[in-house]
Amino acid sequence: MKRAALNSPPPVENSKQVIARRDILRAGSLSLLGLGLPDYLRLSAQSVEKENAGKKKAQSCILLFLEGGPSQIDTWDPKPHSSFKPISTAVPDIQISELFPRLAARANNFSILRSLHTEENNHPQGTHYAMTAHRPSPRTTFPSLGSIVAKEKGIRNEMPPYVMVPLHWEGDFFSYVDAFNAGFIGSQYNPVILPDPSLANFEVPDLSLPKSLSVENINDRLSFLSVVDRHYRQREKRAEFAQMDRFTKQAMTMLLSPTVKEAFDLSQELEATKDAYGRTRVGQSVLMARRLVEAGCRFVTASGYTHSQWDTHGDHDSRLRSVLAPTLDQTLSVLLDDLDQRGLLETTMVLVMGEFGRTPHMNALNGRDHYPDCWSLLLAGGGIEGGRVVGASDAQGAQVADRLISMGDVYATIYRALGIDWTKTYTNPFGRPFYIANSLDDTMGQPVDELF
Amino acid sequence: MQTSDFTSHNGRTLSSVVRSALLTVAQLPMAYLMLLAPILAGPASTSSESQSLRIVPAEIELWGSGASQRILVLATDAQGLEKDVTADSLLHISDSHLAQLSGDGRLSAIANGRSTLRAKHGAHVTSATVTTHDTAITRPFSFPLDVVGVLTRQGCNRSDCHGGVTGRGGFKLSLNGVSPRDDYRWIVEGGVYQVLSPEAAGPIEPRVDLDDFEESLIVLKPTLSIPHEGGERLAPHTEEHAALLAWIADGAPYASEVESGPPTLQRIEVFPQLGVIPQNGSRRLLVTAHLTNGQRVDFSERVRYESDNPDVLTVTEDGVVVAHKLGEAVVSVQAPGHRAVARLGVVDSSLTSYPNLAPRNLIDEHIFSKLQRLRILPSEKSSDHEFLRRVCLDLTGTLPPAQGAREFLANSDPNKRDELIEVLLNSPEHVNYLTFRFSDFYRVTYRNVLNYKVWIRESLASNKPYDEMAREYIAAQGNVPPTRQFYRPNGGLMYPKEKMAEDVRLFLGVRMDCAECHDHPFEPWNQDQFWGLAAFYGRTTRIQKHGLFFEDPAGNTLNPEGARVMHPRRGVEVQPTFFDGTPLTDAERTEPRMQLAKWVTAPGNPYFARAIVNRIWSYFFVRGFVEPVDDFRDSNPPTHPLLLEALARNFEENGYDLKHLMRLILQSKTYQLSGIPNETNVDDEINYSRARPRRLDAEVLLDAITRVTDSDDPFKVHDYVGGGVEPADTLAIDLTAEVSPSQFLDVFGRPPFREAVPVRDRSVTLGQALHTLVGAAFNDKLLGKEGRLRRLLDSGVSDTDLITEFYLAALSRFPTREELSAILNLLQSSSTREEGFENLVWALIASREFTYNH
Repeated sequence: MKRAALNSPPPVENSKQVIARRDILRAGSLSLLGLGLPDYLRLSAQSVEKENAGKKKAQSCILLFLEGGPSQIDTWDPKPHSSFKPISTAVPDIQISELFPRLAARANNFSILRSLHTEENNHPQGTHYAMTAHRPSPRTTFPSLGSIVAKEKGIRNEMPPYVMVPLHWEGDFFSYVDAFNAGFIGSQYNPVILPDPSLANFEVPDLSLPKSLSVENINDRLSFLSVVDRHYRQREKRAEFAQMDRFTKQAMTMLLSPTVKEAFDLSQELEATKDAYGRTRVGQSVLMARRLVEAGCRFVTASGYTHSQWDTHGDHDSRLRSVLAPTLDQTLSVLLDDLDQRGLLETTMVLVMGEFGRTPHMNALNGRDHYPDCWSLLLAGGGIEGGRVVGASDAQGAQVADRLISMGDVYATIYRALGIDWTKTYTNPFGRPFYIANSLDDTMGQPVDELF
Repeated sequence: MQTSDFTSHNGRTLSSVVRSALLTVAQLPMAYLMLLAPILAGPASTSSESQSLRIVPAEIELWGSGASQRILVLATDAQGLEKDVTADSLLHISDSHLAQLSGDGRLSAIANGRSTLRAKHGAHVTSATVTTHDTAITRPFSFPLDVVGVLTRQGCNRSDCHGGVTGRGGFKLSLNGVSPRDDYRWIVEGGVYQVLSPEAAGPIEPRVDLDDFEESLIVLKPTLSIPHEGGERLAPHTEEHAALLAWIADGAPYASEVESGPPTLQRIEVFPQLGVIPQNGSRRLLVTAHLTNGQRVDFSERVRYESDNPDVLTVTEDGVVVAHKLGEAVVSVQAPGHRAVARLGVVDSSLTSYPNLAPRNLIDEHIFSKLQRLRILPSEKSSDHEFLRRVCLDLTGTLPPAQGAREFLANSDPNKRDELIEVLLNSPEHVNYLTFRFSDFYRVTYRNVLNYKVWIRESLASNKPYDEMAREYIAAQGNVPPTRQFYRPNGGLMYPKEKMAEDVRLFLGVRMDCAECHDHPFEPWNQDQFWGLAAFYGRTTRIQKHGLFFEDPAGNTLNPEGARVMHPRRGVEVQPTFFDGTPLTDAERTEPRMQLAKWVTAPGNPYFARAIVNRIWSYFFVRGFVEPVDDFRDSNPPTHPLLLEALARNFEENGYDLKHLMRLILQSKTYQLSGIPNETNVDDEINYSRARPRRLDAEVLLDAITRVTDSDDPFKVHDYVGGGVEPADTLAIDLTAEVSPSQFLDVFGRPPFREAVPVRDRSVTLGQALHTLVGAAFNDKLLGKEGRLRRLLDSGVSDTDLITEFYLAALSRFPTREELSAILNLLQSSSTREEGFENLVWALIASREFTYNH
């Protein structure tokens, strides 16, 4: 697949030389103008941007993370050698696995990408790749998709822009948490991490007043602080201090904001709604995600599937049938309906994926192993078209047969839906630019145009 | 002025490329040495009258037909402030048949001979000799000087244009003209550069048209005759435009056909290297090129100037620096393949008198002399409480106990600071804290923590010479603790290229990483040097079961990029090769890492001592002379090159003794300055004229909160390593991030230990603000059962004593009278005494004065 090479630092805007896309096309030969392919792509991206102006942009994104890696041939890309039969969906010509009857009925509301090709073949590295579109490296810690969206879209309604619910591995021992963090763009874009919302003692740390503390208490404390701090404040003024003061003010606003308080409060939901999403870690974290994007969060990673639940190296079929597929079918269907009814589907992108797919053949333990070469994912909402399938695997579901899609392409698609310039680069501390939609071989990802 | 060549342990000489990249400070700026003079010489004077006059260059030499040289007449006043008075001076040449003088201070050769240039300004007169040579001979053409020279001056080969990694718009030039042969090929033969491939891509069409030379792409683009993203770079009918056309019209040769080939550039020199300009003033820079044939040529109008701080000063394309506001900036001067830098301060010339500051040691000499040049007054000596808190945090990472603060403040012994420094330097707490600091950049993780951290601790406890520590680290074999470094932070065994880059950054302060895939984008380091060094690590292997790391003479290795380290672009095996291109001999090849370690730590290696001195300095002064501390390069010059050099030499002469180095820093007046600013230094961030505040690192802050509140809640241990809690006396600085879950540390920032050389993110965040208001550490610790507040409340001490006790514990000082009365008032209006004091303790640990070291 021919891709644009990474061009070093981002272009300097040059008012003298604005070249319209039409002019480029008319000129016919790029090299004649001395205009490299990346320049062309950038300019054409700007033209698309203009054409799309006026269209309603997505405001937020929910990532439903199927941690462990689901099998493509038993989910969105059914094959004859799967133990599960394909079923028809609401969209003629699209079939998915029989394990997902409720989603099949809603196929108009989502689209499937069947030709993902990614790198890394084990969970920590694969998760890192799925979340950042980079292989882990000791040189650079890369920002996650959620961090990039948080940085580009900013805070809305005092809500933290990037939330993860819950932390899918506690602690950092297996090198997972880094994958969801902000890396070199700065820890202010790390996710706010919530505990499991299905637990009775669920409490949001740092975003609400602890039971022992009233607003009056806090105000009393701040009066003491103004006395203690007066001396030092008079003598030392720095930009960093001013920034911290702004954060403190913002923190107070958040703590006192009813929107923020309510957004994290699942008790505001009807019991019936909680039941519908499922009284599980998965169901309640997805419900929380919906509440959060509704309130103003930009990116919520709903990671209720933990401890490699989808990592079915053994006993694959029965685990899928008994637990994994039913919970996903239920929760995701309810989420799509709920967003739709609230008028949020148009402005909320939903991305459903694991860190890779699974082998198309069974191993000796009746399981399927890790497989990044060709797999599928699901996209919905955010203004993209539903009811479409893009890309195809071969007969075995083992290799990409048509239209290879990289993780960078998926990112570019989400950026485009959210109105973020997907051609952007961020520069790491070494001075090297990286595409925020980083595709294979550090090339620039392209939105999946078929979805727009 | 050039120092003698740096020679390694076995007689190798560093290549000139490396020297130019890394020895900038060794080219001792004569001017700077002279600047030291005023401060070391006697009492201050208030006169602003000129004291002396000089001509630069002092010896003018003009070579070849049409050669010319700009001259400067400089007057120095009693404050050492040098002014360009060329325009206000009377100039006279003794023999106008030999050379002539133009109105703008330019001297041009006419005939061979010697004459004298005299200058008169006010009451002062000075002179310089003028020698003219070879005035009948035209200098032979040279592509590197004459064509790459034009491309360099116009900025075509900057890193953000065609000098970028992959060029721009399909056209690649070597960065700042370091590889003129490659440039010649891209221009005369054509083609598009590809990363990791020796082949050119794209249409192989020449960018010169020998038949119709005005139609050459290399001329059409920069003159905007056809669209050019970079805009107009070459105005038609200028000298440069004409030079390019003439070159193509002559058949685009690489060089004139002369016997020995034309001379090439050896180095360039800029005057002044350190200078000052009054606010709203201007002064001209002079650039001299030294050619390989020994000639010196005025290059002032043949280079590219860039100011790194255009708000402070800008430079015209002919080298006139224009001052805008008070501050300091570095002007880089770029000639083809060579760079020089000038550091210039814009000063407030209204400050006519300057106190005579007596330096205590070499640090003060350098710091004070530069401050005087810049007309910045240092702050007063720190108060005792400032010093006490600062030195305890800097050396032990913990606050002095309240009682200790009381005693120190009451002590009237004039030597008490020196004594405290010795006590702290020799304390076990210091070893513990230094181990914490080193664990950051030595990358201690759970995978390697046990004996590796013990090795660090023991090395520091015994004050092991740092060169020895470095050799043990780099050449580690078998089951010794430092071999734990070969575990890759992301799992598996470090690749040779990663380990090399990590070690070079750690011990030489140089970031080579970019040169893995292509020649370095900002520096003259190339891919061959990168892989030659990486090959030293090729034979390192591991016996899986025991985790033994060693170099297998047979070259067996588990490493996927192992014993045969392949050059990614050339596709050939690379042999271990030093920076200068000398490969290891066969005999040395059994233990390549030992050979590398010896080279790194060889006496006289200019990078080794400097890298650690710069890092240690940054622990005490928030920043290094070079920042980031491990990013030494030409384009990132140190703020105090001579001091850095002097400290590095001092460190080396004293047996690489870290404790000696720290003592020197701590005893200096510079370190002991107050943080309270004066009018002249309130904006100073880089000249150490006052103590700059630094936020306490997460671990130190948590320990400080624990210490003030005297609370005791043990740290958790991760379930994956057995769970439970750490022993009660464990400090946050003792923890290992991977296995010590802590929300507080996550929020306030841990080192990113999955980076090869972790650098802490010290930015302030919203999360920190939230945690300070409602987080556990700021609430649960206030009124613990055994805590300080509970104890004191129960003991019946007075409110005033209680307040004082907490002020001493948290801020190492007594509350002021105003603070005391304001707090007593607030306590009065609190609903309970308990709650009031709880609020006070919260305010103390949330305060800026507490959360910063200053």
